[in-house]
Amino acid sequence: MEEGDSRRWEDLDPNILAKIFRGFDIFDLTSGIAHTCSSWRNAACDPLLWKTLDLSMLKSNFIKIPLEPYVYVDGRSDRHLTRVLKLSLNLSRGCITTLLFHYYMYVSDAQLTYTAERTPKLKRLVLPAWNRIKRTGICKAISLWNDLESLTMPSIANPPYLMEAISQHCKNFSELKILGPCDMLFVQTLIRCVPNLKVLSIRCSILNIEALQLILDDLKNLEVLNISHCFIVEVLPPPATRRVIEKLDSTIMEKGKRLREFYTCLDDSCIMCQRSKADEGLMRWYKYDGLWKEDEVKSLAV
Amino acid sequence: MSTSSSSSKKIVLKSADNETFEIDEIVALESQAIKNMIEDECADNVIPLGNIDSKTLSKIIEYCKKHAESPKKDDNADIDEKAVEDLKSFDAEFAKVDMPLIQDILMAANFLNIDNLIGLMCRTIADRIKGKTPEEIRKILNINKNDLLSPEQEAKAREENSWAFD
Repeated sequence: MEEGDSRRWEDLDPNILAKIFRGFDIFDLTSGIAHTCSSWRNAACDPLLWKTLDLSMLKSNFIKIPLEPYVYVDGRSDRHLTRVLKLSLNLSRGCITTLLFHYYMYVSDAQLTYTAERTPKLKRLVLPAWNRIKRTGICKAISLWNDLESLTMPSIANPPYLMEAISQHCKNFSELKILGPCDMLFVQTLIRCVPNLKVLSIRCSILNIEALQLILDDLKNLEVLNISHCFIVEVLPPPATRRVIEKLDSTIMEKGKRLREFYTCLDDSCIMCQRSKADEGLMRWYKYDGLWKEDEVKSLAV
Repeated sequence: MSTSSSSSKKIVLKSADNETFEIDEIVALESQAIKNMIEDECADNVIPLGNIDSKTLSKIIEYCKKHAESPKKDDNADIDEKAVEDLKSFDAEFAKVDMPLIQDILMAANFLNIDNLIGLMCRTIADRIKGKTPEEIRKILNINKNDLLSPEQEAKAREENSWAFD
């Protein structure tokens, strides 16, 4: 090929370039494409390519430690995440509406704030690991995400401050998935702070039957509830501790009828139910590669 | 080129280098742009395609012929698997050409509005540059030297890339 005969890629319809890039993941977009030439760099910023930033293939390199935050993240893996965030958030130009992190990606406060400042249109966040995130960090982020509608989060000890922040800043908030136990305090907080919640998934977790009753009675606007493969218990007065519920009684099922969709699965022959029972409702997701991403509620699956 | 005596209607396409191609109307209809022209009765006997050379145009006609002959998905719910496979292997063979020709076909397909062909060329380019470095991509695509990143953009890109290594 002669020197002067180079084709004019910059003349190509930008929609066509965006079509070429559609199948590319974030690493192709950020490392190769964006640095090829200026027309490609512009095409790599096409809002269509950046609706979803899926980082759910990236895990932290970490070890569990006995002290707070109970996890130590290796510096290199931390810098890698910072770099990926910086590159992709730069190219996305604030267009991201869905942001997905891995179950074992321990994002730091600084990384979270950096991300929140560059994703003002965020509607859905999947952030399952909060060990390194402090109250101030998440509240700052929530205050920037006024369009947030859907959140997938871990179980936290003190849910009120978070739900108050969501109630104050995210007027359209309607979907919640908790990867972990949802106790009485959590349910009471939901009823008080986000009474308009429409979709709730607490699958594969330990669930107090009283909390379930409260959800069904008092989350008046709930339309979809997923308690599939939950390890359901009744707390008994001392000296007894708890009783494992093997079957949902008819009053629960009757109350569930008012929901548009009510997903239950409490079946000894179901493999997920067996796993949840073996782990006593605190799923050891590292044993079940990738299964944390699943959900019977389609809009909450990753 | 003489007019054909066969019953099916013919269309004549004329390339930038003045070569004419007589094809069945059904083949030409693979192009949404030509289809619109014919429907709007804007098409003369000869349709001049001043921005497509004969090499590119003959490739495009080859593609349209094959696709016009193949059963369409919406025609018949249970089209036979063999036809689908056959078309797939035709597409794979068709795409085995050098990058400049791929780009010419892509630009022409975009102009003629042939959706399937645009898709095929985009996938082909994507497959060839996936996982490559910017330098390799520039080489594969023979990117115009005038279109390189400006010094400021280059510096910004370098900074982004080196950010993690302190």
